[in-house]
Amino acid sequence: MFITINNRQIEVQTGETILQVCRRENIFIPTFCYHEAFGGQGACRMCMVEVKENGRNKNRLVAACTYPVTATIEVFTESDRVQQVRRTLVMLLKRRAAQDPYIEELAHKYEAPLLPKLKVDPQGCILCRLCILACEKMGKSAIWTVLRGIDKRIATPYDEETDECMGCKACAEICPTQAITFLEDGEKRSIWNKTFTLVSCERCGKPYATREQLEYMREQTGYETAQICEPCRKKTLASQVEKYQN
Amino acid sequence: MDKQVNNEIMKQKIMVCCGTGCTANGGRDVYKAFLEQLSSISNIEVLPMVKQTGCNGWCEKGPLVKIMPEDITYCGVKVADVGEIIDKTLLQKQVIKRLLYRDPATKKHITSHHQTNFYRKQHKIALRNIGEIDPGNIQDYIDRGGYQALQKAFSSLTPQQLIDEIISSGLRGRGGGGFPTGRKWQACKDAQGSPKYIICNGDEGDPGAFMDRSIMEGDPHTVIEGMILCAYAVGASHGFVYVRDEYDLAVAYLKKAIQDARIHGYLGKGILGSNLNFDIEIVRGGGAFVCGEETALMASIEGRPGEPYDKYVFPTEKGLWGQPTIINNVESWANIPVIILKGAQEFKKIGTAGSSGTKVFSLVGKVVNTGLVEVPMGTSLREIIYEIGGGVLRNRSFKAVQTGGPSGGCIPASLLDLKVDFDTLTQAGSMMGSGGMIVMDDHTCMVEVARYYLNFLAGESCGKCTPCREGIRALLEILTRICDGEGQMKDLDLLEEISSTMQEASLCALGRTAANPVLSTIRYFRDEYLAHIKEQRCPAGVCRKLTTFYIEPEKCNGCGLCTRNCPANAIVGEKKQFHVIDNESCIRCGECYRQCRFDAVQVM
Repeated sequence: MFITINNRQIEVQTGETILQVCRRENIFIPTFCYHEAFGGQGACRMCMVEVKENGRNKNRLVAACTYPVTATIEVFTESDRVQQVRRTLVMLLKRRAAQDPYIEELAHKYEAPLLPKLKVDPQGCILCRLCILACEKMGKSAIWTVLRGIDKRIATPYDEETDECMGCKACAEICPTQAITFLEDGEKRSIWNKTFTLVSCERCGKPYATREQLEYMREQTGYETAQICEPCRKKTLASQVEKYQN
Repeated sequence: MDKQVNNEIMKQKIMVCCGTGCTANGGRDVYKAFLEQLSSISNIEVLPMVKQTGCNGWCEKGPLVKIMPEDITYCGVKVADVGEIIDKTLLQKQVIKRLLYRDPATKKHITSHHQTNFYRKQHKIALRNIGEIDPGNIQDYIDRGGYQALQKAFSSLTPQQLIDEIISSGLRGRGGGGFPTGRKWQACKDAQGSPKYIICNGDEGDPGAFMDRSIMEGDPHTVIEGMILCAYAVGASHGFVYVRDEYDLAVAYLKKAIQDARIHGYLGKGILGSNLNFDIEIVRGGGAFVCGEETALMASIEGRPGEPYDKYVFPTEKGLWGQPTIINNVESWANIPVIILKGAQEFKKIGTAGSSGTKVFSLVGKVVNTGLVEVPMGTSLREIIYEIGGGVLRNRSFKAVQTGGPSGGCIPASLLDLKVDFDTLTQAGSMMGSGGMIVMDDHTCMVEVARYYLNFLAGESCGKCTPCREGIRALLEILTRICDGEGQMKDLDLLEEISSTMQEASLCALGRTAANPVLSTIRYFRDEYLAHIKEQRCPAGVCRKLTTFYIEPEKCNGCGLCTRNCPANAIVGEKKQFHVIDNESCIRCGECYRQCRFDAVQVM
């Protein structure tokens, strides 16, 4: 099936989202809450695009990350309507994460006016929820959104330390605005009101995971593996391949 | 008492309104008093005569007691009146004038509520049984034609014919969206996948709206019958009634109704000897306003947080647990049995071309007769507010009516002749919503009204998508600023820019309509915004930082009502001499302004 994006014919498969098609075709669509590992959430609304559908008189704005292509449509990714929406959204999000370079770049691109900074806690969180999805994917779901409306934020249950958190900091690593803070001193890591003991790599000696994390991996896989960090594991594997080739 | 008298009483029916409003005013105590006092007269079996009914809609005048077949309606009945009613009306056939409704215009007493303006102008379909039956008694419902639509459908309509009937009736969803119900059913019937689900949306959350509550509390079987008809039409096996958690009475009556329907063979396996298997489960809501949005509601039933998701694929294809799902509002369901029984053509005769049938409004605010009102689509606001509602309280001047719940809009006096239906309200910048109607008088500040609703939505948005969460926050900040006298002219542009993005980009209807209170008040009451920003003045005397009250000496007759009500002791004056407000100690609460009967208290 063919659709047109910005007047260009593009072949698509039924059920693909507009965003997937655009990423493949290198068509720029800004996103905050999208990650290809999780699919679209439709939360940040930065990926809104204008769509002309058969049988509808008026074009409508849809979220590219959740809109599945099921019929021939025309898509406009930078129309006036789209730009106006993105301008306001960046203006609103910049209040939460004023220092973020990507938001700054988009604010410049869409000429977003400046509103006073917000006093939200934690500063910098734009509620894209990627941390929640990463945590869920790691298998634990230690954090989720709490409260509603303008008070909504990400937290562990009752802001207390939770058994579920294993200190893997997948949440902090995926956070696009570095809003999840953690402390690390080579032996301990503190995150989400909980302190973890770090385990060092048997090869290079660098701390690379928490004890809880390795314990969880053992539980899940049923294997007792050597305590080796990711880079060292790759090096070992590479040297084995080299041996085999020789 | 001899036997003949007993038989006389037995023919009479005493119907005590035990809707939520009347119960709050002691309706249930009145009901019990009737039971007790009648049983103490002699050892007659009194239960069949005294009935508790659902909400009659006329909550302003409750508790209501109707006596049939004489068709006498008593208003504001107290337990102390029960003895007199039994004595005079039941035994001696006398009407007690004191308890009758007195028409404020003609000053005449009216015996039957059917003759009052409040009822005469109404056309009851969804509310047809409410107030006439005991909601806990399935036989009452059956006696008034209940479950006949089901019999008719099973004996003479194929599922497709049933859907065609609903399509040609032109029924549109009464929950607010106004989507054609028949088309929804057709899409679900055509969708692949099994099982299919049916949901009744009873998560009514708009402040001041209680039409769904009244239906569930007053006539639960009509909802159940509507759902069974739909199950037959689309081939569904399981239904859910999602009820707002606070509605205890609705849950109790629905539970009873579902059990009774099972016993009578209307629910369960092989309904009425057919091969349809269908049963209904009650789900209590989790207390979030946003769960009235259908995708959030389905997420909630599934046990996930009540957050909406994009429905580019409609629930009729992928709904509850990814299965084809029909979700309709309580009032929509209540219309279904009538359409099937009387036929689509009859139904279509009522209402307007684009919106057939009736709509229930909950008329509240500064209006004489508050309560539930069911009128044909296309009835004008003036008829609803002035003829049925009896006009604005204390004869104040009408300023605006807010329709459609918190994310509806405010409609000004110049549009009072607007004929209300789905399309006209949307064109006027408001919406039908679930049918809330809040009347506002000239003591209402429209900027503050917008701020009030945004404040409600700030707590009730789910907070998932940026435009709704951050947009509402920004709008609320700006409106608060304007109410505090710190607004600037550029704030108006900012309000409009943010509102427009919220309409365009929000995930669900809550966010898309959340800016309506702001946009509609700017559209119709721009001068009030300007007064706040440019003149630092709140014309309605509501925003404290912008208000100064004074007493006009010529109008003040020194009655002292203001002095007695002033919490700050800021008003001085001799009896029968004009009074003066001391602005230093005045806290601008506006109590004197509201109390004064002579309009002597004025806003500077």
